[in-house]
Amino acid sequence: MTRIPLSLIINGQTHEVLAEPHRTLLDVLRTDLGLIGTKENCLEAECGVCTVLLEGAAVNACILLAAQCQGRAILTIEGLAAPGQLHPLQQAFIDHGAVQCGYCIPGMILAAKAYLDENPEPDENGVREALAGNLCRCTGYQRIIEATLSAARALRASPSSACRETAR
Amino acid sequence: MTFDYHEPTSLREAIELGARFGVDGRFLAGGTDLMVQIHRGRLNPRHVVSLQCVPGLDAIEVDGAISLGARVTHRRIETTTDFQGALRALVEGAEVVGGHQVRNVATVGGNIVNASPAADVVVVLLALEARLTSLGPAGERTIALDGFGTAPGVTVLRPNELLTRASFPRLAPRTATAFLKAGRRRAMEISIACVAARLTLDAALERCQDVRIALGAVAPTAMRARSAERYLEGRPLTDEVTREAGRIAATECRPIGDVRASARYRALLVATLVPRVLARCLERIRFHTS
Ligand SMILES: Cc1cc2nc3c(=O)[nH]c(=O)nc-3n(C[C@H](O)[C@H](O)[C@H](O)COP(=O)(O)OP(=O)(O)OC[C@H]3O[C@@H](n4cnc5c(N)ncnc54)[C@H](O)[C@@H]3O)c2cc1C
Ligand code: FES
Ligand code: FES
Repeated sequence: MTRIPLSLIINGQTHEVLAEPHRTLLDVLRTDLGLIGTKENCLEAECGVCTVLLEGAAVNACILLAAQCQGRAILTIEGLAAPGQLHPLQQAFIDHGAVQCGYCIPGMILAAKAYLDENPEPDENGVREALAGNLCRCTGYQRIIEATLSAARALRASPSSACRETAR
Repeated sequence: MTFDYHEPTSLREAIELGARFGVDGRFLAGGTDLMVQIHRGRLNPRHVVSLQCVPGLDAIEVDGAISLGARVTHRRIETTTDFQGALRALVEGAEVVGGHQVRNVATVGGNIVNASPAADVVVVLLALEARLTSLGPAGERTIALDGFGTAPGVTVLRPNELLTRASFPRLAPRTATAFLKAGRRRAMEISIACVAARLTLDAALERCQDVRIALGAVAPTAMRARSAERYLEGRPLTDEVTREAGRIAATECRPIGDVRASARYRALLVATLVPRVLARCLERIRFHTS
């Protein structure tokens, strides 16, 4: 199978890769670029562990072709905060004990970020609904919801803490 | 699984590619059905033709007849102000499709062409008497949505034809719409049964002047509950009458039993959801005309 050259803008940086046209963004992120913060599980858009932001919107990287993402800004968990720093969502997840095995967390946090970007003053139901596409087998969700609501408050209090908005 | 990827930048080019590849090609919109089927090995296209750079497929028109471009996402429907009133059923159908990640990319056109009997937005569009426009090498044609799907996953669209939009007439006065879906959980769930209705009341706001009821996941394709519609026309919409309409709809649907529910339970859901959907329409008409 012939490979095609792709130019992907990930976390503000342009990456040139050669990939077969049927390969997903998830596969290219993990295999070619070593960005393994984006997780892999169902490969059917059911569980949300592969969530990345495409032009600010949460999408499942497991059903998105890398070829479809050319020239469109992609944010993965690695680009959420500057190296060595934590985004308020990451900090809130730690503070609230919202992380157990951690496998669902990158997707969970990016889905939460997309939601908070559009809804800076969310209520609990809104957060639950926004995270419906992200499954967690450990935490029981309650602390994840609390952490997200708390991060929303932190972001409102200090919007500048919201990182380099690399890919938006 | 392997294929060539194409990204046409005009309708003409998209149709040319569709014609060239015929049954070996597939159009790709949000990929939430197509990519899953490819991953499962159920589909194995040699060519995937992405519609993402084809202009003119993502418009929502609301002057005169209402029209949804094939590439309009469920998310766009949810957030369209014009649909928050009498056309609320569209929002109710779109907002229950998958989670945010799915709705951000999944499209109306994909929902229609995929032809699942449980496609939620299709059920709403059926109650709105939508017509589809398709474009192929032989030109444009319009196809009634009713009858477009012929079996699960099968439609009358030709392999090289592109669906461009779904349109339906503007609502009459004293009209409202509603949609309800039953699943095993509240989110990320394929319908066990779903019902959409478009109801128009008479001038006294008491009797049914005109009604369309569509059912999902209870037959090989989305279907109209025509006997229930006929029964309702001209009748006052009392609880007793809407319950009877539900019972009639339950007898005309043809559900199967599967992992999600038994056939009998699906029919019971139809009997329950039809009066509830009608009650919602009634409430909405009275609210908007008072
Ligand atoms: C986790 C998950 C949950 C889901 N939940 C629901 C749900 O609750 N309710 C529901 O109804 N659906 C649900 N779906 C199914 C799916 O999301 C919808 O049917 C969606 O609308 C499909 O749109 P798409 O743009 O992703 O289609 P695609 O996958 O891109 O395409 C689907 C089919 O249509 C064809 N096609 C697409 N656009 C065109 C066009 N313009 N012209 C000709 N052919 C075209 C493709 O070739 C393909 O065969 C779910 C899917 C997932 C993965
Ligand atoms: S791996 Fe993509 S949604 Fe599960
Ligand atoms: S923390 Fe383990 S899956 Fe969510």
